[in-house]
Amino acid sequence: MHWRHRNLLDLDDLTADEIEHVLQTAVPMKEILARPLKKLPTLRGKSIALMIYENSTRTRTSFETAGKLLGADVTNFSVAQSSVNKGESLYDTAKTLQAMRIDLVVIRHASAGAAAFLAEQLKAGVINGGDGAHAHPTQALLDFFTLKERLGEIAGKKVVIVGDILHSRVARSNVLGLKKLGAEVVLVGPPTLLPPEMGYLGVKLSYDLDRELPGADAVMTLRLQLERQERGLFPSVREYHRLYGLTKERLAKTGKATIVMHPGPLNRGVEIASDLADSNSSVIEEQVTNGVAVRMALIYLLMGGGTSRVVD
Amino acid sequence: MLWIKDAHLVDPARGISGRGSLLVREGRICKMVVGEALTAETVLALLGCPDLAAVTQVDGTGKYLFPGLVDAHVHLREPGQEEKEEIRSGARAAVRGGFTSILAMANTEPVIDTRPLVEYVRLAGEREGKARVYPVAAVTKGMAGKEITEMVELKDGGAVAFSDDGKGIQNAETFRLALEYAKLTGCPVISHCEDTSLAGAGVMRKGEHSARLGLKGIPASAESVMVARDALLAGETGSRLHIAHVSTKESVQVIRMAKKAGVDLTAEVNPHHLLLADEDVPLTNTSYKVNPPLPSRADQEALLEGLLDGTIDMLATDHAPHTWEEKARPFAEAPFGINGLETALAAVWQELVAKGKLTPEKLVELWAVNPARRFGFTGGTMAEGSPADLVLFDPAWRERVTAETRESKSHNTPFLGKELQGFPVMVWIGGKLVVKDRKVLD
Repeated sequence: MHWRHRNLLDLDDLTADEIEHVLQTAVPMKEILARPLKKLPTLRGKSIALMIYENSTRTRTSFETAGKLLGADVTNFSVAQSSVNKGESLYDTAKTLQAMRIDLVVIRHASAGAAAFLAEQLKAGVINGGDGAHAHPTQALLDFFTLKERLGEIAGKKVVIVGDILHSRVARSNVLGLKKLGAEVVLVGPPTLLPPEMGYLGVKLSYDLDRELPGADAVMTLRLQLERQERGLFPSVREYHRLYGLTKERLAKTGKATIVMHPGPLNRGVEIASDLADSNSSVIEEQVTNGVAVRMALIYLLMGGGTSRVVD
Repeated sequence: MLWIKDAHLVDPARGISGRGSLLVREGRICKMVVGEALTAETVLALLGCPDLAAVTQVDGTGKYLFPGLVDAHVHLREPGQEEKEEIRSGARAAVRGGFTSILAMANTEPVIDTRPLVEYVRLAGEREGKARVYPVAAVTKGMAGKEITEMVELKDGGAVAFSDDGKGIQNAETFRLALEYAKLTGCPVISHCEDTSLAGAGVMRKGEHSARLGLKGIPASAESVMVARDALLAGETGSRLHIAHVSTKESVQVIRMAKKAGVDLTAEVNPHHLLLADEDVPLTNTSYKVNPPLPSRADQEALLEGLLDGTIDMLATDHAPHTWEEKARPFAEAPFGINGLETALAAVWQELVAKGKLTPEKLVELWAVNPARRFGFTGGTMAEGSPADLVLFDPAWRERVTAETRESKSHNTPFLGKELQGFPVMVWIGGKLVVKDRKVLD
């Protein structure tokens, strides 16, 4: 397949075939991760900048590792040590990156649209590493890779996503992609975190986790930002856990060998019971490994990797 | 002396609309004749002038002649935010857009809350000699929402209304007292209805599109609950209230009910709320970020219905200039506001009048007659003896909106780069030509 995209901003830009192509490309990448000597020369001489405006060790490290394994030079623009703290606008930061002839930019930002904003300003490619509550396409792709690996295929499978849907870019990007791949998706959460307008996604919305679990092939539970309690979005961790916390007993209601996913970092005992997170049903650590593989695949494709063979 | 002939004259204040001529002498309208062509002899006789060479003749064929439009909601940003707009540039942008009188909002730096500041705005407007600038003074000192201003002094300095526009007055008792006290001035209080506890950190209307973009939503109720509160307070106090920038169908319902109950209430709607909806908001075009936020299509229908049935009294731009730098940010970080003076009339003409949803007569009623009446100054009519504030409007004039051709210092309009049809080609203030062939004269 000829890869036609310069950027990855969200999954609505990709066709189902293109998503499959990314996942296919990630398979050999994952094999490379298992090698004793991992580093490839593929992108030697290419430069990647990581613009991390939001605390995110996990996503930053994942992209950094992915870039380095492909042989690219990876520069971190972490907010604490850059001019961003001196009030430099995103626009001027973009101009600076442009002047440095960076080849690919990964941005993680608290504002929806920050990645698209950057993409409009730059000649370099842009990967959205998460923008506000808008999109997190690489997380969704690594979730699809994990689902495929565990379930064989995604079409026809039932995926329940539970938690703070309203503020979740992970849920949004996942639903966009899962629908394209033919999965059945149900979104579950309390009304304050699952308002009716989330219906735009065109999937079932439900307040009742126990009712939705039967038949689920995968349950994805989202991190609950505990400060949302102060804003009155949920009354207590106790009641949240009672209604939406995932436990071994509750998971048994699916009636099948269901996998449990979480984008991390975990609030153990809040959205997921500790023993469940560490159980055989959990693929949470696998998601992290797959994250590196999928990001390698994306970086490879976006940097014109279609022309040279990645694995010799 | 001026003779505008063969134009379609629209003067809804007197129920007149038709082809005819208008004569101007000494800055005032001398005679308006509809339905018959005037001979040069008659014109000279009416003007009391011996020589036709002393009369400027303007051929209005194919064009409309309106009384100068009145815009009740403009942010001129001076003093203090001259990088966005100045009284000079705003007054020039106004006439280029067809507005000969504008109300200048008080949320400058400092806030217009003392008499010298009101006088400054008024005099700076007079000095420029473009659109007539009528200052609006703040309701509360520093717009802090606590102590009311010296409204009588402010009125004596030239204020025609009071408003903390830009912010809603959250404390109901403060607003009630302001309504009471404003009775001493006879001026309306203009309310910016926004309950900040509901609006929160929202950046666009709460709905499917805000959910899709991952942007924090502002529920329609953030406006409507305060419209209801203020309508009740105006009824209870018997004071004069004007509701700025109505944008929800619930607000329209509340205003309709209040008017039926006899409350002394008027309301405006901004063209962008009629023409652009939440679903039109692009994630990276912050020119669509405005407060109140762009509404739903259902709201737009209710707003238009409200305009047509008299629930809503006027159109107003809520001209809110911001610099390119301020707007060149991710959506959530950019300031609210749409720059409207130079595009509003053309946009409304193209989308509503040309499509038959609004008549030219109704347009002039909404954008000239009613605001002049409500805020108590002369204008909005071409009756004999009125100041000759006039707009010659060409419904066929097409123009691309570009930064280079604009008078405003800022270009934060969703119409930037787009083509619109229907523009004022000549504008007079007090009989003096200030716009010719779309260009503001120096």
